[in-house]
Amino acid sequence: MLVSLGPALACFLIMFAWPLVRTIMMSLHKMPSISSKMSDWEFIGPGNYTELFTNSVFLASLRNVAKIWFVGGVLTLSLALLFAAILASGVKGKRFWRSAIYLPNTVSAVALATMWLQYVFQNKFGLLKQLFTALGMERLARINWTSPEYLFWGMLIASIYSSVGYFMLIFLSGIEGIPQDLYESARLDGAGAWKQFRYITLPLIRNVFRTCLTLWTISSVNYFTMAKMFSSRLNLRTITPVYYLYEKVFGTSDAASVLNVGSGAAVGVLVAVLVLTTHLVMNKILKEEAYEY
Amino acid sequence: MMKKQKFHIRHLLKAVKYIPLVLWVSFFAVAFGWILLASFSTSREIFSNDLLGSGVHYENYVDVWKYNNVGHYFLNSIICTGIPCVLIILISAPASYTLAKKTFIGRKLTLNAFVVGMSVPQVMVIIPLYCWFVRADLVGHLITLIVLYTAMNVPYTVYFLTAFFSTVPSSLAEAAMMDGCTEWKALWKIMIPMASPGIITVTVFNFMVIWNEYFMALIFANGNDKIRTLSMGLQNIITAMTYTGDWAGLFAAVIIVLMPTLVLYLFLSEKIVSGITGGGVKG
Repeated sequence: MLVSLGPALACFLIMFAWPLVRTIMMSLHKMPSISSKMSDWEFIGPGNYTELFTNSVFLASLRNVAKIWFVGGVLTLSLALLFAAILASGVKGKRFWRSAIYLPNTVSAVALATMWLQYVFQNKFGLLKQLFTALGMERLARINWTSPEYLFWGMLIASIYSSVGYFMLIFLSGIEGIPQDLYESARLDGAGAWKQFRYITLPLIRNVFRTCLTLWTISSVNYFTMAKMFSSRLNLRTITPVYYLYEKVFGTSDAASVLNVGSGAAVGVLVAVLVLTTHLVMNKILKEEAYEY
Repeated sequence: MMKKQKFHIRHLLKAVKYIPLVLWVSFFAVAFGWILLASFSTSREIFSNDLLGSGVHYENYVDVWKYNNVGHYFLNSIICTGIPCVLIILISAPASYTLAKKTFIGRKLTLNAFVVGMSVPQVMVIIPLYCWFVRADLVGHLITLIVLYTAMNVPYTVYFLTAFFSTVPSSLAEAAMMDGCTEWKALWKIMIPMASPGIITVTVFNFMVIWNEYFMALIFANGNDKIRTLSMGLQNIITAMTYTGDWAGLFAAVIIVLMPTLVLYLFLSEKIVSGITGGGVKG
């Protein structure tokens, strides 16, 4: 029966393990083109990495990701926690709300981005324009969300809207795992809803929170689709490391004037290292504590 | 008097809870509803804020399907999603069965390998893969996407199904083998049908992930109109639309792209939602 593992293991080795090693090797070489043979690679050690950290485009992409991670993370996780707490506190039609909030995660990101760009943020007939005009908020109505000034924030709002549902589900399952009798005895002792949330729910979902933080970090480090949809050409305000890699290796724009595939590979390695580091740091900061219910 | 007021406040608080939920969900409902109506209107009506002013224009869909190649992109998406969904199960189910039911040296290591595979960022493997497909002269053929989508989703599927198989009792299969049935036959005829709820759940996940996939399709299928998937096609329509001004057609295309996973979700949302929180997390 061990034969049955063959095809699955082959997928892993051919599509993950070996390319992983290749990417690390590529990141230490200068490669003139993507199909150049290994004998044409020129070894330059950490050269690609040092070049990246002096490259203003790549540094801009790191700054953008830091903003996405921090601002987007605070907003996404707080909204997700808010919705999870509301749903767990007992509302009518809980299943409906849960499914409806998660829905944006299940549809094509390209179609969703199109919805935001061509309708919600549209500056003639757009949803926000009409909403703010109807509410008499002229200044907000005048904001052109797709102008360079606001593009990044528009993109972030769109991403937050589609991420909240996923984290809401994880928080919700964490909260629902807390035994009810803890709340009951707290109620008997006279604790209100806020106190129950603050002193029972929050401490007990620490591990869930850590999972969410790790997952959010992974998704913001890999941020690409929305960035590409919100600016189809390279734009310093919205560029992210993965976008930079894409332009450098597969793109056609001038930003990648000197094609060096090795430099793209170095970006890939850095992304993976960032993911790994946050994983380790999270484990250290929010140490796993076993609660016994 | 005091008591009555307190009672009111409590009721008010109960209602306040619904405000964020209603605002959040109605935003999408309004946006989706507007786009749906716009997709049946003319571009002029969209700009003059008079949706459906001259009746329902089905022809937006017909036009975009025929002249903007959406029919063709749709077929590509079906092929690139359907075939991998089947292949993934054919590859993963036997492996998961072995991992769940057998003890052998290196079992833990193998399981860990799949966990690693699940968490490797795609950017970490995409460049060498592209090299190989270029050298094999496969870029520009649908087979590239089929192979990639299959392989990329195997680790998660193995992980998910291994957990599922370990909850399926093996006594029935063992009894069949006592009666002279081969283990492979017992696997396909007894174990896999018994694991079908898990197989269906994971296939629904795989379908949604592959149907909505963007990064690989952009790299491997965007250069060639023959193999563009729906997401790529939509992106092209958007670019083209900035010249033609066919907004109605654009919104019709958005609806066509959204529909398949949306309908699937409407029917299976309970299964999907509980699969996410219960059976491991797909990154």
